[in-house]
Amino acid sequence: MKKILVILMLGLVSACTHDILEPIDINVVDVPESLVIGNVSGLKIESTIVSEEVRINAKLPYDGTYRIKIRDIENDLISQEKLNANNGNNLLKVYVSTLPKSSYTIELTENDHTIIGRGVIVVE
Amino acid sequence: MKKILILLVCVLSTLSVFGQSRMDYSTVNTVTQVGDTLVVKYQYFKGNGADAALYQFDIQHNNKLLDIISNDWQPTSTSAQKAVNTWNGYKFTIDSNKGQTDFDGQYLSWLNNTATYTSNTDWSIQRITYQDVTALEDGAEIMKISYKIKDKGTTNYSDYTNLINVNWANYKEADGTQIDVTGQSELSLNGIQGGDAGNVVLNVFSNVITNNIGDGSHYGYTIYTKEDFIAGINQNTQIVASGNFDASGQATIQGLVNDTEYAVTIFIDGQQTYLDNVVTISDLALVFAEAIGAGNDPNGVSTTFDYYIQKLLGNVVGFGTDSKVDFQDSYEILAFLQGITTQSNPIITKVGNAYNISGIKSTFGDEINGGPSFTPFIKPTDANKSFEFAHALNGDVNFSHSFEPISENADIPQNAQTQSTARSMRVMGAKFKSETANLDLISEIVDGMVVFSINSDVFGMIGSQFNIVYDKTKLVLNDVIFDTGNEMTNFANHIENEGKINIGSFDQNFEVTIKDGTPYKLIFTPIQEINNTAGLITFKVKEGVKADGTQINFIIN
Repeated sequence: MKKILVILMLGLVSACTHDILEPIDINVVDVPESLVIGNVSGLKIESTIVSEEVRINAKLPYDGTYRIKIRDIENDLISQEKLNANNGNNLLKVYVSTLPKSSYTIELTENDHTIIGRGVIVVE
Repeated sequence: MKKILILLVCVLSTLSVFGQSRMDYSTVNTVTQVGDTLVVKYQYFKGNGADAALYQFDIQHNNKLLDIISNDWQPTSTSAQKAVNTWNGYKFTIDSNKGQTDFDGQYLSWLNNTATYTSNTDWSIQRITYQDVTALEDGAEIMKISYKIKDKGTTNYSDYTNLINVNWANYKEADGTQIDVTGQSELSLNGIQGGDAGNVVLNVFSNVITNNIGDGSHYGYTIYTKEDFIAGINQNTQIVASGNFDASGQATIQGLVNDTEYAVTIFIDGQQTYLDNVVTISDLALVFAEAIGAGNDPNGVSTTFDYYIQKLLGNVVGFGTDSKVDFQDSYEILAFLQGITTQSNPIITKVGNAYNISGIKSTFGDEINGGPSFTPFIKPTDANKSFEFAHALNGDVNFSHSFEPISENADIPQNAQTQSTARSMRVMGAKFKSETANLDLISEIVDGMVVFSINSDVFGMIGSQFNIVYDKTKLVLNDVIFDTGNEMTNFANHIENEGKINIGSFDQNFEVTIKDGTPYKLIFTPIQEINNTAGLITFKVKEGVKADGTQINFIIN
């Protein structure tokens, strides 16, 4: 019985130690290679030339409210989404069917408009 | 007696030395246009020279500018011998030691090769020879030559100077004595009109180009003769030229004729999507203000507009039959914004229906008989081959997609504009002016629905408009929620098959303002599985208007 208790205690100590040294990424998603972001946070767009929709990875520093913005050539905001997203990788889509053929800037910002990442797409 | 003889010899000697005839050439008729026939007479003046038996002279003419039609002998003598020889591609080089008009001297120089003919493709030579036993009378016309005037526009010549020269003249007495001959150095023409105008340049001006809403390539032109245009354009009217402007708004036209008047009409591509943004709440405010205010002056001439052209742009019904902007016009625009189709067929520009107005920029909208005028006419000349045009769209009272006049004559005098205190609260001085304000337009997923909300903390707006486009393949509009205030007139124009919805509000009394907070909310149902909404809902027109007519351009961070 004493041996069992010791093993249990060791197991608990081991588990606690593991939690402290390596925090678990709770937003575990299967990120395609084309959307992998090396930094802690940022925005990556799967393809620059887009026709219907394009996948993006919004890698975020913490859980919270963020914005995805689309700006035209004059930097005017023409579309904006507000979303709650998780810490880590968030695979999302930008839909471009309503946009005239042109080039646009995609922006990922915090809710207070602080920019996390930007990228350019061409709608054709 | 000796003295008398000496004097006589001196006199005879003097006569012999200075005895001189002339070879004159001058135009018979008046010519003004390219293509006219120029008739030149070549005339013998005996002067104090001796009677001649041989009249021979060389003429050269610029064959790029003149084309010989005919040579017509004028003497009627049946005993005369006559000849005309022609060589093309030569020009006479005079003996520079003698005067050009020393025709007999140049003849002698030519004989001994100190004056020569050299190759020159621009010139042609004619040698006229007339010989008779009977001398011609003083002033007799030897030859009339008819020339067709050619277009200098296709040559390197800029005018019609120095067209014809007599190179030399060989007049001889019956015994072979050379007669002194003089005359004029050249024949020139002035004021010849017509001919290929070459490159004629048109430039079009509009806020569509200035403000990068579109570019110059969205505009086209059609050119008619002035006569056809005045007679009335129909499907059978011949078009002189047509085409499109380049991106900068410039077109180069060829095939026009100098000094000829043409009418130019300029039009915009009616399928450009921004045409649905031409007439907005700001235009409605201006038209409503005019409907309320215009004519309340005791003499009935007051207006809220700044330009005469606004009376045309805002007069969307009764076009051509009444010249007033009245309530019918304002309600038609309001109905248009609400998406209501009326029986009036209002002249309001939108996609598929562009109502074009164009004219020379410098006089665009100038007042004539109390209304605006537009000059479509151009006349290319040697001095002017470039023309600037302005373009406007009917219904665009605030010139957001049109050219705002620059001519002082297009301004309505201030003393004709509304000044009353009661109306000073309303739109006055309708010149296009704007300011900016911040808004927050966001889409988000809430409980499985896509919610698009317009959040405003702007005060003082009596009207606002938002033209929204959504992806109809993924969303269906469920509801529009207004929270603008109890007294505000709201509108929502849903064009379902295009995935468009125009929403907004307007207080026709210019008194109530739109509530802050979230005055507009659109609820959509997704018809496909979506995890986020980026790009599903876009907005282009987002503007408000204040009671004083100021347009508010919303800035969204």
